[in-house]
Amino acid sequence: MSSRMISRRGLLAGGAFGALLAGGLTRAHAQTVQAGFQLSWLHSVQFAGSYLALENGWWQESGLQVSLLQGGPNAPVEPPVVAGTALVGISAADYAASAIEQGGDFRIIGVAMQKNPFVIASLPANPVNVPADLQGKRIGMAIANTPVLKALCSLNNVDFNAITIVPTQYSAQPLVSNEVDCLLCWETDLPVAMAMNGIKAVTMLMADHGYSLHSQTYITTRDSLASRRKDLVALMAGELRGWQAYHSDTDAAAELTLRMFPDAGLDLATQKLQAKRQVPLMFSDLTDANGFGWWSDESVAANIRTLALLGHKVSPDLWDRSILDEIQAG
Amino acid sequence: MRTRDWLAVLLGPVLLLIGWQLLATGLEGKALLAGPVEVLHWLTQNIGLVARALGRTLGNAALGYLAGNLIAIVLTGIGILFPKLLGVIGGLALVLFCLPLIATGPILRSLMGQGEGPQITLAALAVSYTSLVTLLTGLRAVPSAWLDLVHVYGRKRFAELWFVRARAALPYLFAGLQIAAPAAFLGAMVGEFTGAERGLGVLTIRYIRALDVAALWGISVVATVVSIMAYAAVGMMARLVLHDLPPVVLLSSPASGRCGKGRFRDAVVLVVAVLLLWWGGIRLLGLNPFLAKGPLDVAAALTWSAEASESRAALFLAFRQSLGFALPGYLIGLGVGAGLAMLLVLVPAVVPLIMPIAVALRAVPIVTTAPVFVLFLGRGATGTITLVAVMVFFPALVACIHGLRQAPGQVLDVFDVYAAGPFRKLLYARIPAMLPALFAAARMSVPTAVLAVTVVEWLTTGRGLGSLMALSASTSNYRMLWSAVFLVTLFSVLSHAAVASLERHVLRIYAPEQVRQ
Repeated sequence: MSSRMISRRGLLAGGAFGALLAGGLTRAHAQTVQAGFQLSWLHSVQFAGSYLALENGWWQESGLQVSLLQGGPNAPVEPPVVAGTALVGISAADYAASAIEQGGDFRIIGVAMQKNPFVIASLPANPVNVPADLQGKRIGMAIANTPVLKALCSLNNVDFNAITIVPTQYSAQPLVSNEVDCLLCWETDLPVAMAMNGIKAVTMLMADHGYSLHSQTYITTRDSLASRRKDLVALMAGELRGWQAYHSDTDAAAELTLRMFPDAGLDLATQKLQAKRQVPLMFSDLTDANGFGWWSDESVAANIRTLALLGHKVSPDLWDRSILDEIQAG
Repeated sequence: MRTRDWLAVLLGPVLLLIGWQLLATGLEGKALLAGPVEVLHWLTQNIGLVARALGRTLGNAALGYLAGNLIAIVLTGIGILFPKLLGVIGGLALVLFCLPLIATGPILRSLMGQGEGPQITLAALAVSYTSLVTLLTGLRAVPSAWLDLVHVYGRKRFAELWFVRARAALPYLFAGLQIAAPAAFLGAMVGEFTGAERGLGVLTIRYIRALDVAALWGISVVATVVSIMAYAAVGMMARLVLHDLPPVVLLSSPASGRCGKGRFRDAVVLVVAVLLLWWGGIRLLGLNPFLAKGPLDVAAALTWSAEASESRAALFLAFRQSLGFALPGYLIGLGVGAGLAMLLVLVPAVVPLIMPIAVALRAVPIVTTAPVFVLFLGRGATGTITLVAVMVFFPALVACIHGLRQAPGQVLDVFDVYAAGPFRKLLYARIPAMLPALFAAARMSVPTAVLAVTVVEWLTTGRGLGSLMALSASTSNYRMLWSAVFLVTLFSVLSHAAVASLERHVLRIYAPEQVRQ
């Protein structure tokens, strides 16, 4: 486009708008620093610790104004983090690994879900209790998750070829209507939906069968780790407080979620159940001792092994504990 | 209206409701379909929530509809005034329309940040091209003697546009506006998948996962009813505006379509313009290279990089799978649309019975229809093909009905004088008059078919290009994503050109005024 196409009036208007914007930004700057926080999915109790931090002003106290950016089925997490629109994003170890292979410069600075939430959900009449039960079954899942199933099979010496994969949308409907025998899904969504509809589901947590993969991880760029350390510390410190409060009263966290997002179509009973069910995935003796978001070196080694099965080669450098160290040091 | 007419109007919806309830009862326990009673109950319980979500989605759809149609009208006006630009304008609009929204959604979100931007933009993108094509057809559907009259008085192209073409195009404009109404709504809903806070699309995602069938179908019913109402409102406006227009007179004129050399030049200009905009747009907007890949990146990814052959293999496998669904669906949709339009003209009494069902079929958001089709027709080819056909069918039907009604009154009078039956009139007068509209629909359905097949693949079957694009976006493989966008867009534009070439051959015989320069 040639520069002649920009009219004088347009330039003036643009300048005025720019000045206005800059003025607004500097005024905000004097009080607080802005930080975007890109969530990985629609608002729900899945992120209730962050809502508690926001609601109680725990970020505000340290001069950080956090805006929570909602995710969705077609909402990218990594690009806003790279572009700086978001300081921190919620991702998972495998997604972070592929983003790094594609040239992203990410670091994991906290782990919300120590245990991977993937389960094999089935009905009690035809249950999958251990990986060996998968043989001869029809499993409903996204084709994209084939490497996940393959990894589970090789971790447990199960014949992958004895399983029939049925490509399905992410819903419990194919299981309920007997189109498939089991589903690959999260512990905290489809089984909860089934329970709320009065359908009992058997779930086999893949993390209990060798599938070690950190999920709901906090990612940021190495650039931000160097240039925005203070903001990162403030953001993560708020998260830690928020999730601690969440742990002490999950029902209150669910109620807050509904209060904050009345138009999200959330159901209180469902949210309460989901809030309870994600506690064992997020909290353990390890987090009790070291605080929420902490991880052990052994779990990193196990993650690297699982990632290798998924076709990703990563080094332990992907995990950067310096922010949590700083918070712990006070 | 007489009682009998009222009965006819009511019969369609009543049959629909009864069929729906029966189907829901038959499928009970499958968590798939909620009956009208259950849905109504849910809606009354959640009226506030639904109203707020509807307000948001409708507002975005309306803004996008307005913007998209305005752009279409302005572009069409420019194209008619400066016919040399027509090829490039149409080409650029087509390229924009062909961009797969699974890929444009996340890119728009990254560009525009939080808020309603991507929803409005996707709604605008969903309508601007269809409106452009119908309008362009209308502006050309002018008796050449009228143009000669304008020229005899020494007036130029602007007078031609203002006094003759604009008026002749009105029926077509309304046809385009009608088709655009449900499309804008769907665009706004899919836009909400990119991380919107509120709206019917957000609720849809929520309820699919929550297995809340009554809520899911409640939302679908609201979306459908609103789409139908928007469609009907545009139709009503058309009747108000058009009632005293003179009948269009069919006059023959020598055909002189743009010569082969001119078309070739247009194509070259278009390719250069697209590449420049692509490369320059990334530079100008300062897009991050992690997300934004330029023409050179894509060329490298597909030809000379280390993984090129692997990427090509993955891309072409997905492409073959998608084509296997899209092509049969496209042809079936067009055929059924044109066939039904003819039937409706032969037996006008059926119109009030069939039209609501036809509108409903297209207006139910594809997001919620996909699982039902898949249940009845299996996760194999049949389900996907049927969904593509449904998406293509509706614009074809509407365009063909309008086209069939364009048959000049005098010509029909001649048939009446000779006491020719309705079938003869259809065959010799109405079908030739319908051909421009049918081809306009065929052309603009190329991107629709691609959109449908990729959305179904993305949401349900997990195969083909739709799934490949979604997977590439989630694993940050933006090289593959942009390569897929490039391939999909290129394919859509080339197929469009192929249909257009066929169209020129046919219209030169049956509707030469359409190919007049």
